[in-house]
Order: sequence, then C-alpha cells, then structure tokens
Amino acid sequence: MKRREEINSLKNLERLKEEGMNSLFPSRTKIMVGMATCGKAAGAGEVWQVLNKEVKKRKIDALVVKTGCIGLCQHEPLVDILKPGYPRITYDRVTPEKVGELLDGLVKGKFKKGIMARIDQEEFLLDDTSRRYNKGKIPAYLASVSPYKKLPFYKKQMRIALRNCGFIDPENIAEYVAKGGYFSLAQVLKGRKPEKVISQIKSSKLRGRGGAGFSTGLKWEICRNADGEERYLICNADEGDPGAYMDRSILEGDPHSILEGMLIGGFAIGASQGCIYVREEYPLAIERLEIALNQVRGEGLLGKNILDSGFDFEIEICQGAGAFVCGEETALIQSIEGNWGEPKPRPPFPAISGFRGKPTVINNVETWSNVPAIMARGAKWFSGIGTSKSKGTKVFSLVGKVCNIGLVEVPMGITLKDIIYGIGGGVPNGRSFKAVQTGGPSGGCIPKDLIDLPVDFDQLKKAGSIMGSGGMIVMDDRTCMVDVAKYFLSFLEEESCGKCVPCRVGIRRMREILEDITSGRGEEGDIEYLQQMAEAVKDGSLCGLGKTAPNPVLATIRYFRDEYEAHIKEKRCPAGVCKPLITYSIDAENCTGCGACQRVCPQEAITGKKKKPHQILIDKCIKCGACFEVCKFDAIVT
Amino acid sequence: MISLTIDNQTIEVAEGTTVLEAAEKLNIYIPTLCHHESLIPYGGCRLCVVEVSRNGAADLTSSCTHKVEEGLKVKTNTERVRKVRRLVLELLLADAPEAPILQDLAREMGVTRSERLKPRKDDLCILCGRCVRACREVVGVNAIDFAGRGYSKKVAAPFFKSSPDCIACSTCFYICPTGAITMREVEEGEKARIPEGEIVEGPARIIDNWKVGLTMKRCKKCGEIIAPEFQLEYLRKKVDLKEDHFDICPSCRE
Repeated sequence: MKRREEINSLKNLERLKEEGMNSLFPSRTKIMVGMATCGKAAGAGEVWQVLNKEVKKRKIDALVVKTGCIGLCQHEPLVDILKPGYPRITYDRVTPEKVGELLDGLVKGKFKKGIMARIDQEEFLLDDTSRRYNKGKIPAYLASVSPYKKLPFYKKQMRIALRNCGFIDPENIAEYVAKGGYFSLAQVLKGRKPEKVISQIKSSKLRGRGGAGFSTGLKWEICRNADGEERYLICNADEGDPGAYMDRSILEGDPHSILEGMLIGGFAIGASQGCIYVREEYPLAIERLEIALNQVRGEGLLGKNILDSGFDFEIEICQGAGAFVCGEETALIQSIEGNWGEPKPRPPFPAISGFRGKPTVINNVETWSNVPAIMARGAKWFSGIGTSKSKGTKVFSLVGKVCNIGLVEVPMGITLKDIIYGIGGGVPNGRSFKAVQTGGPSGGCIPKDLIDLPVDFDQLKKAGSIMGSGGMIVMDDRTCMVDVAKYFLSFLEEESCGKCVPCRVGIRRMREILEDITSGRGEEGDIEYLQQMAEAVKDGSLCGLGKTAPNPVLATIRYFRDEYEAHIKEKRCPAGVCKPLITYSIDAENCTGCGACQRVCPQEAITGKKKKPHQILIDKCIKCGACFEVCKFDAIVT
Repeated sequence: MISLTIDNQTIEVAEGTTVLEAAEKLNIYIPTLCHHESLIPYGGCRLCVVEVSRNGAADLTSSCTHKVEEGLKVKTNTERVRKVRRLVLELLLADAPEAPILQDLAREMGVTRSERLKPRKDDLCILCGRCVRACREVVGVNAIDFAGRGYSKKVAAPFFKSSPDCIACSTCFYICPTGAITMREVEEGEKARIPEGEIVEGPARIIDNWKVGLTMKRCKKCGEIIAPEFQLEYLRKKVDLKEDHFDICPSCRE
C-alpha cells in the first residue's frame, strides 16, 4: 500500500511536469509579459491590460501570461512572443501604443520591428539539458537577431539562483516542476539521510548570500546538532538596501525555488515549521508567495506527510514593517516574536538559540534558491564554479551610472570590469567611471584603479568593502565621494535601531561632521577624527549594522582622501556636487551659445545671445545644476 | 563549573555567569551604564566591552551579556577596549553633558568633552533602557517603551500621551543613571500641572516624562502618606490582598 502511495506522489510530480512542459512549449501562441515590480514600474501593467484586450478583440488564438524579471530592467517593459515553429522573441520597451503593431506582426507571421533578442531554447539547469522551441531552421529574417545569450548583458552571466526568473510563469507550479522543480525534494525525501543532505550542502561550500557569507552547511549542522526537540527555519526576505532588489526578483519570479529550498533545509535540520520574513513593501512578492504556498499545499508538497515520506513541514509568511535592521538575524527573530526589532548580542547564535529560544536556521532568499540546484546537480558541480573560497554565483543588482541597469548573476571571481563594462555596458553619457559601491549602504566604494578586482567575499573585504547582499552602485566622475558617504550615513542613521551607543550616536555624529565638510565648515583634523570614530564604531557596535556602518566613510577616505582635503582645506567640491561649495559659471571659450542651458534654467539666470557665449547671473542662480547637466560642451564650470 | 581567565587570573564560576559577574568576583572593575543587577542584561551602552578569545582572534563583546565559556580568555583593559569606551563616553558626553554620572566616568577615564561635537542640551536621556526594562521586568506594568528609531529614538508612554498604565511607583526615576526622569511630590494643599495635562491637587506625585500625576494615599490611622493609590491597588491585586489591606500604613499595621 505504502509503495503505491509513493508512486502516486511521484506520479503527481510527473503529471505536473507534463502539464508544465505543455505550457512551456505550447501548441498555440504564448505572449509573456515581464510582470515583476521592475516591469510594472516601467509600465508593464498597462501593456498587460492592452494586450489582453486586443488579443480578445482581434480574436487571436494566443495565451497571455506573466513572467518574472529576466534581468534587463533597463529595457522594460519586455514582451516575449512564443509562436509554434518559431524561437521565442523578446521585444523591449513595449508601450501600450506599440501593442497593436506587435500583434499585427504576429498575425502576419513576420514580427520584425522592435525585436531585442531571440531565445532559441529553454534551458533546464537542474537536468543539465535544453530544448529548442522550434524544431526546424530559424526563419531567415530572425537570423540576424542576436540570441539572448550572446547579448553582452547575458554573455558573462551564469544564472543559478535566477534560473527560472523570466522564463516561467511564477504563478504556475507546473512550469516550475517542468524545469526540474521539486524533484530535488522528492529525491531527498525518498530515503536520503538528513546528515547526507547537510554534508552535500557543506561540500558544495555554499556561503550565505545575505551578506556575512557564513557556511550554509555548517550553520545547518550546528542547528541540527543543537540541544532541543523543536527547530525552526526562517527565510530572510527583509531586503532593504537602497537600489538593491535581488531577493524581490526571485520572490516574484520564482517563489517555488525558495519554498523547495526551505523544504529541503527543514528536512535536513529536522524542523517542521518554517517562516518567510518578508517586508510589507513587497506586496507582489507576498502575493506570489501566497499563491505558491497554496499550490504546494494543494499538491501535497507542504503539510503533513509530504510525498508520503513521513516528513511534516509548514511554511508561514510573516510580514515585517520594513525596518532595515530587521534584516539582522537576531532583530528579525525579535520582530517575528512580536517584539521591538532590536538585535541581541551573539552568542548565543540563532542556530543554537533562536526563535522562541529554539535552534533556528536563518538563510537569505538567494541562499534558499541555490539549494535545490545543488541537490540536483551535486556539490561538485557547484563547488566547481567560482573562486577558492567563494563558490557558485552571486546575484547583483547593477544600478547607478551604468548603461544596462538590471539584475545580473555572475560566477564568483568575475572582475568588476567584466560586470560594469562587459555586462553593464559602461558608464553612459560619455562620462567616465569613478567608483563602485558594493554591499549596500554599509559597503564601501571601490575606485577605478581596482576595476580588475575579482568579485568574491574575501577580495571585496580586502578592498575595504563587503559582498553584502548584492547591491552594486556605479558612480561616474560627477559623483562627490564625500557626498556619497554622507548619503549612506544618513540612511544608516535613520535605520539604526538606536539600541547601542556607538551605532546610534556615532553614525549621527559622523554624519554631522560630513554635513559640515560638504557645507564648507570642515575643520583641520576632521579626516583623522572621522577615521578614529569610524574604527571605534566598527569595533564597539552591537550588531552587523553598526559594525559595517562606518565602511562608506572609511573606504571613501582610503581611496578619495584628496576629495575630502579639497572640501576641508580649499572649500571646494571637485565633482561639483556640494552646493554650498560651488558657483556655476560659463567658460566663454567652450560655450557655443546653443542655448540649451538657458532653456533648462528654472530661474532665468542665464543670459546671452544665440551663438554667443552666455553668462550666469550669480544672484539669481539657485545652483540646481540643470545647466551643468545639459551642457554638451563642458562649458559650465564649477 | 566553568574555568576562564580574566586579565591573566584564572577563576571558576558557575555556568550561566556573565563575564562581568566573573570579573566582579576577581575585583576587576569594568565600567557599566545600562547594566543593573535586577535587570536582564541588555548590552546597549557598550561601556563594559571586553576582549574575549578562545583560540586565535579576539572579539570585542559586552561583558554584561557574554556568558562565561570554558577556557575563555578575557582582557578587560586593552587599548582596543579603551578606544571603544572612550568613544562611548565622548559620544554620550556630547549628548548629555550635564549628567553627573557621565562627568564622573569621564574624569575616571580621562575623557574630555570633544570640541568637535556640538552638545545636545535638551535631554539627559541616553537611552540605556533601564527605566523601560525595570517597568517591564521588575514592576510588570509596561507603562513605557521606546518609540522611534536611531538618534530620534525616545522613551515614552504610548503615542507620547499621558501613560494610562503608569502607577507612579517611581522605579524608573530611581533606576535612571543620568537623572533624565523628573518626579515631583505635590504636597497637601498645593496644586501642580501635569505636563500637557490637568492640574492635580496634593497629595500627589507627578512623573513629568510620562505625563502622569497620581493621588497619594494616606494611612487611615496615622494620616501619613503611603504611596500612590494606583500603585497600592496594583500591588493589592497582584498579590491578591484584601480590599482594605492598604488602608493603613505598614507601621500602623505592626
């Protein structure tokens, strides 16, 4: 009897897989819209509505479905068309107005205009296979279109955590299963020992993707071996770095990968209850997680006696109010328990005494998403990727002054240059690269001299920054590094929970000094004082927030000391950013009298005749910098 | 028993002892601010930081929260430790320059107020949380808590209004290390105004920070003031005493 049930549950997965394959390779046309938050922000919601309406109106035999973020956020809204007999075709920057044209092309069989790339095959990372969409030849008119993997943006990427994002419908469990999903879980539950699972994760050398980079397998082992009957497991989805949205994209684009990772983790450590701590500001992520949870429950993959293995597991969603410090594991636990989100001193570490004082494993979204892949492909495969101490890949959200803004996943050890220039396409508007901030607000700025730095946990630390959860902000030559340090400290000042003195008062006071420096009130000795304070705050703070908060100050002083000195001694901002220190004027030699500055000036502070050098009326100028931004001849000087 | 070394002296203490307690046993002085023996260790002020190591690299940790471990090596007065303590004092001194305890500690450690940091003068509170914790852990009333975050964090009654739960027991007043909490006893026949509130007639006790003013109860026998009515009522219910138990003062009861 038991045997038959086991077969039945596997049969269920096989059925889902078949269903999913039919949906990935449909017999009728499928139109996919990138509907993650990034896509929606770019207007995908409107495109989605118009598409649905038009398809109905024109009686086109096509399915319209949602996908997650494929990474190229700069080009959104993205619409993909998969017509039987053709490769999948990606259209970028689609507007509601362009939808009609797009559908015309579809009906006529030639859809040439506005194509960004074609995708020839569906990759099955977990099975290490791929399958072409069209059996025959690529139609001639599409031959010249770049396959997406050959686009500079994707060429150097390797997508493990993001394997399904943008390829499957995140609200369809069958598509996840078709891509190999839940088979890792089935395999684990089929008779593997929990210790074996842990040793596999350990030998994969996976390190936590939330920031600290602790060995995931070791954390699981400590928790499993800790005293006590009850154990808990938490997914940390409290992503809060400014400009970083790695976890959100996975939650929105492939929620099942996290659930499967957690199920495997729960089995390995001996927990029967898991919790996803996700911030309330991620409503779409929460919605998709809820849908996914309902689906797994319905398919018998969550709850009692999962896949007839005797393993019980439940997952709950716990919404946080969005405090940055709640990403710190002890503060996160406090928050789940309904307390004030304040960190506690460690030890004891949560793996020994966590939620309700019980052994608790907390891993970040990206970490969980890697787990099923490691189980499917093996530890050796995973540890074959990356550098000696940082294995696998890392997702970065590449933002700031870079041509291709988006979400990228790269093997550890890739150089900053490859990411910023190769994938990111370099700095836009003819400006030059100055620095890159990694690791979020408490990371550090790495200057252009270190552009060949291989990106992994240890190298970034050596350079005075951190890996963090994967924020990567590119800055050009018009960025003032003192101002940058001030910006990050202001963020951290507000997000400090206020429990310990070094963090609460130290960050505030450092920010005040930076405020002085950028306003022309900097004093001799400020740099040394800042350094001294920063070192002590780093050493003396209670939790990770305070311990890393001084990084932006220390790293900018380390690499851009001359800029600090220019502010303090010469009362000058070399990048022309700090308003109290700049006066705009026009270099008559460079000015062509094009009038561009005159048109953008909100104060009518610029005078001059056409084709003659212009002037700025100092009294009227509010130093908004609009003229500086718009001038193509570098004629506006500070 | 757990054996550890503090400043090269070995000591054996019971499991669960904190490093601070162990150091006290050896008469090694570690300055503290947010620590109080009646409260659960908090680790907020960071004044009691020490260097701990087992094998290899030393970590800085708050001695009031760190439990002893077998073979632990503790150093209580290294340059690294002093740097953090000095920073803490310097920062707090700029925030509450008038607080006597900070002035004393600064003298003791040779710290002077930094000219570079503008003094903040509106508040003596250094957010050590002793009042909040005492109200919760000792009194069990939970009348006050932290509000806000970071530098703008404050201790307050809910919504910064008059506390509906405060029993004016004055524990917070006595446990505050900096004198940030003000309490006024309003004598019989006198009147005083509660901050942002009404006028109360004596005998009463006002705690300004929580915007409460509560009437004091007199002994029915000798007429001496016993304590705030609310406090006596709270105690009576908590220990399940007779309704008239606190009508007479403890001395008359004897």
